[in-house]
Amino acid sequence: MTTVVTKGAPAKPTVRVAETALHEDRSAFAFIIVAALFFVVSGLVAIIIAAKLQFPTLLGGVSWLTFGRLRPIHTNGMLFGWLLAADMGLCYYLIPRLCGVPLWSEKLGMSTLALWVVIILGAVVTLATGFNQGLEYAELPTWLDILVVTAWVMFLINIFATVWTRKYQQMYVSIWYIMGAILWTAFVYIVGNYGTLFTTGVNQANLNWFYVHNAVGLIFTPLGLGIGYYYIPVAAETPLYSHRLSMIGFWSLAFVYVWTGAHHMLHGPISQWLQTVSILFSVMLMIPVWTLVWNFLATMKGQWHRLRDNVPIKFLMTGTIFYLLTCFQGPMHALRAVNAIVSKTDWIVGHAHMAVLGAFSFFAIGGAYYSVPRMLKTRLHSEALADASFWLWLVGGLSFFVSLWIGGFLQGLQWNDTSIPFIDTVKFMYPFWAVRLVGGTLMFVGILLFFWNMVATYNYRHQRPVA
Amino acid sequence: MLKNIDKSSALFVIAAVAFFAVGGVLTTVAPPLLDASWSKPAPGLKDYASLAAQGDEEAKTIMAGRAIYVAEGCWYCHTQQTRTIEADTIRFGWRDQRSPVSTPDEFVYDAPHMFGTRRVGPDLSRVGGKYDSQWHATHFRDARSLVPGSVMPPFPWITGNPQKLAEVTAYIQSLGRVKDWRPEHDYEE
Repeated sequence: MTTVVTKGAPAKPTVRVAETALHEDRSAFAFIIVAALFFVVSGLVAIIIAAKLQFPTLLGGVSWLTFGRLRPIHTNGMLFGWLLAADMGLCYYLIPRLCGVPLWSEKLGMSTLALWVVIILGAVVTLATGFNQGLEYAELPTWLDILVVTAWVMFLINIFATVWTRKYQQMYVSIWYIMGAILWTAFVYIVGNYGTLFTTGVNQANLNWFYVHNAVGLIFTPLGLGIGYYYIPVAAETPLYSHRLSMIGFWSLAFVYVWTGAHHMLHGPISQWLQTVSILFSVMLMIPVWTLVWNFLATMKGQWHRLRDNVPIKFLMTGTIFYLLTCFQGPMHALRAVNAIVSKTDWIVGHAHMAVLGAFSFFAIGGAYYSVPRMLKTRLHSEALADASFWLWLVGGLSFFVSLWIGGFLQGLQWNDTSIPFIDTVKFMYPFWAVRLVGGTLMFVGILLFFWNMVATYNYRHQRPVA
Repeated sequence: MLKNIDKSSALFVIAAVAFFAVGGVLTTVAPPLLDASWSKPAPGLKDYASLAAQGDEEAKTIMAGRAIYVAEGCWYCHTQQTRTIEADTIRFGWRDQRSPVSTPDEFVYDAPHMFGTRRVGPDLSRVGGKYDSQWHATHFRDARSLVPGSVMPPFPWITGNPQKLAEVTAYIQSLGRVKDWRPEHDYEE
């Protein structure tokens, strides 16, 4: 029997024996395995476009293999094909357990996945053939946007109906984050993909950055944190440090995050007062971030020895540190003086990758390593391979992020020295881009190991039954 | 009431949407209403989309070129904004002429906007007229023959198609011209 207990709040017991009978986990597992497959594909595209900065003519004769066509496939593939699908899979696993009831409808879950696969394949074809709407993260044509909203409503119904029929009255913090993410995503996605169609110029750019920033801040952040709040206590077999801190973190996030979109246009052609508003709220984001990180780290008190051999905990705690770092960078970039150096450079690329690939993917991977064997009522195929994938991601990720920070920061300083020709600042980046390519390749090997481990866990599940 | 917010899912839903809606409305709907400069076109700014719809040949060519710029993802590596940073005005000016800072009224008819976030290559907010069209044709074919060290890819399916090449070049040459900042020297004239 495992328990998720919060100090000062009633326990949330989930009984393992009953679980086996209660939870089917078909939708949960299917989402994760499909997400892992898209992780492989998007990772391969990533390697190609990183290599193109070393060899600009690589595959240059083929229109659909150029940088400008592959980049949106990479970003959309990682965000929606891998991370969002993986997060949805984990939600299908943890929400029923926190509610003490089965998922409302496995059929609806599987239909949602079928639609999701159609969306991702449609996205690859339209982007490769140059049907690009020209707005970051909103590149997909309107008919695909409609399918995305449809799939999201199906997901919403399934999760909310499960919560509605829950057995435990008090909702654990993960449920809030996930319900919040589902609600906010509906608004954020519609503004970014439909609101932008009826606007032009700076007005449109403002809605675009509202969407881009909140895609990370109000979709991937609350989903990732909800996942972290569930898996850190269960994987470390310890109660959450503080229910009250988690409340402060959640409600401050809900209020503060949405104001910050205009910081993507600092020093740009957008009203100064709006820039100042976005800076103030960007700095205030430290409140939800630091309360959450404090809560996660304090939960591990007395459990740190588990970092030695508990692979999910390795991912979850490293993800926590990456989250703290990336969310310290964010408010700093929003300061005008810092922004004048780092904006438009590769520093920001390093920052964005640490958020999506470092923090939130680490949470999702940790969750997948923990729960996929439990979904299949078996054990993980190989702990050693899982551990190897962790070290590949950690070493590859750090070399990727750090090289882009150093190179990007120095390039930003060079841009502000107008005696240096622009092309010299490009050539300056070559060695940093080379390190990024090597780091990215290490991470890609980690992705392959992860995918193989998931497939093998499924294939050999009957040989390793859990009593 | 707030004490029980983690027990009632209906109460939670209302509060979560309300907390979000305050900033959501004030940062998306309010700014264009408060700041008229966002929707007031600069004097002389051409609405190429409307002109093209009326059959204007030059506007049609420029809009077709803009569509190529959007489809090929040029905007992933090139920004179109001279920011309020001195180095931007010097670096993306021309010889001793500084590039005027970009203002919202220059972009009133832009959809999709092409401000961009990343400068793998230089900013293009004032590139119109800086280089002659033959230079651009060569640059699209093989950027490194003109700018050694450049990482811009070749675009053979554009340079091999005279119409497409003319369209995308016409678009590039139209950029940043609404501010009459460099009247004395233009390779195109």
